[in-house]
Amino acid sequence: MATTDHDHRDRCAVVGIGATEFSKKSGRSVAALVSEASLAAIADAGLTPADIDGVVRSDYDSVTHNDIGHWLGLSGLTFWGITGTGGSAPCGMIGQAVAAILSGQATNVLVYRGLNGRSGLRLGRGSAIQRSGGARHVGGNGTLDEFFLPYGLMAPGQLFAMYARRHMIEYGSTSDDLASIAMTVRKRANANPAAQMAHRTMSLSDYYESRMIADPLRMFDYCLETDGACAVVVTAAERAKDSPHPGVLIRAVTQAAMPEMQGGLVFPALMRPDLLDNPGRRVGKELYRRAGLGPADIDVAQLYDCYTITVLLQLEDYGLCGTGEGGAFASSGAIDIGGTVPINTAGGNLSEGYIHGMNHVVEGVRQMRGQSTSQVPGAQTCLVTSGTPTVTSALILRAA
Amino acid sequence: MAAIDRPLPVVDDEETGGFFAAAAEHRLVVRTCNSCAATLHLPKSYCHHCGSWDVGWRDVRPTGSVYSWTVLQHSIHEAFPAPCTVVLVQLDEDPAIRFVGYLPGAPELHDGMPVRVRFEDIEPGVTIPQWEPVPEA
Repeated sequence: MATTDHDHRDRCAVVGIGATEFSKKSGRSVAALVSEASLAAIADAGLTPADIDGVVRSDYDSVTHNDIGHWLGLSGLTFWGITGTGGSAPCGMIGQAVAAILSGQATNVLVYRGLNGRSGLRLGRGSAIQRSGGARHVGGNGTLDEFFLPYGLMAPGQLFAMYARRHMIEYGSTSDDLASIAMTVRKRANANPAAQMAHRTMSLSDYYESRMIADPLRMFDYCLETDGACAVVVTAAERAKDSPHPGVLIRAVTQAAMPEMQGGLVFPALMRPDLLDNPGRRVGKELYRRAGLGPADIDVAQLYDCYTITVLLQLEDYGLCGTGEGGAFASSGAIDIGGTVPINTAGGNLSEGYIHGMNHVVEGVRQMRGQSTSQVPGAQTCLVTSGTPTVTSALILRAA
Repeated sequence: MAAIDRPLPVVDDEETGGFFAAAAEHRLVVRTCNSCAATLHLPKSYCHHCGSWDVGWRDVRPTGSVYSWTVLQHSIHEAFPAPCTVVLVQLDEDPAIRFVGYLPGAPELHDGMPVRVRFEDIEPGVTIPQWEPVPEA
């Protein structure tokens, strides 16, 4: 039943989830990792590969639609989609699955992200400079890298350090605030046996003793580098009623870009007149409108956390606290279990594993099933966000 | 003298080459719409404000102030040994126009600190604008 002009509200569901082991060195191909996670998600949905007629991946994923079709022997593949940029993709990938289902182009859509993020291409070291293959001249051809790489600005952590500094200048947020995010998320990982940091606790002194990488960001402000994959299966809510896990509805999903300075890979975002005005604000506003919900309705959130500062910014972008209050809000315990909005309950990119935000979608589904290792009692809604700042996407899951 | 593996900008790109051609003449320029005078920075040859394809380059005053910065304490490229600093600058003439600069070491910086351009001639035809603090009175 259409309830708004964006009539996808509650009309599709996530019926299957799957994940591989998260490690530093998988010793396996990315295609094998994606296949394992995908098979787990398909089986979890009570389906077989023959039932999958659509696939959606991230633009950064090396496993293409024809690759996964080949690996899994998908005999009925009639839809495939790609979105990005990179970590901004996962929630938008779910959106593409919803669009395909509601437009009649697919029935059961497999959505995946896999990478050898530690043993293969290490995104944290700067993908553009690595992909330049040591060429003397960088940039051109629409990349806009010529305005950044020649100055030593090459890695995403360096960019987000600029955001952190600016937030500290404008609003007085502190390293203690960033530490509170790192430590809170680590506690969730300590409760999750599948997290890479399951057995490593983090104290405040551990945080401050971690190596300064791009001041003011320390190593423990950075996410992990992970070999692994995550996948989910999306289907129509009506069809989901016949599945083993019928109860996780996609309340609403939204992507948004900025009108200016979204070109290139990521660094041009530094050129925006207000550095702290991110597409997350636009996604948040539109997402809540589509969902017919507001920030106060969110019981638990999986916020994309490539860095601690990314979480701080999104707490504001999604209205979970006021503009400029992200640091104080995080330090208040509001993001901890028992707080207003517990976040990243499996450990997130910071401490569970860096599956480029796809693990956030999987954990959101677990929360709505009541299956998280840090279950929020009575949680009925979960906000899931994807990467920022060039463009971004987010969704709200609802327990039926 | 260029370090062996120092990344240099492509200077002959259709969209951005004019910026580096001006820099080689020690001029700081921004793409500007000839129809509505909007600044189109980073450079592109279409103005989404008024729909014009008639664009040119405008000289801007090469002074600005520090907007943000990061001190790199961990090297990921041999041409930029730690510690070094990447600074984000906004122009005095129009704070909505930003540039990035490189400073060796970890100089004392603060928000709003005045900076000015220093054109770095790396090799014939390849010059990039750098930004250095102006001694404050």
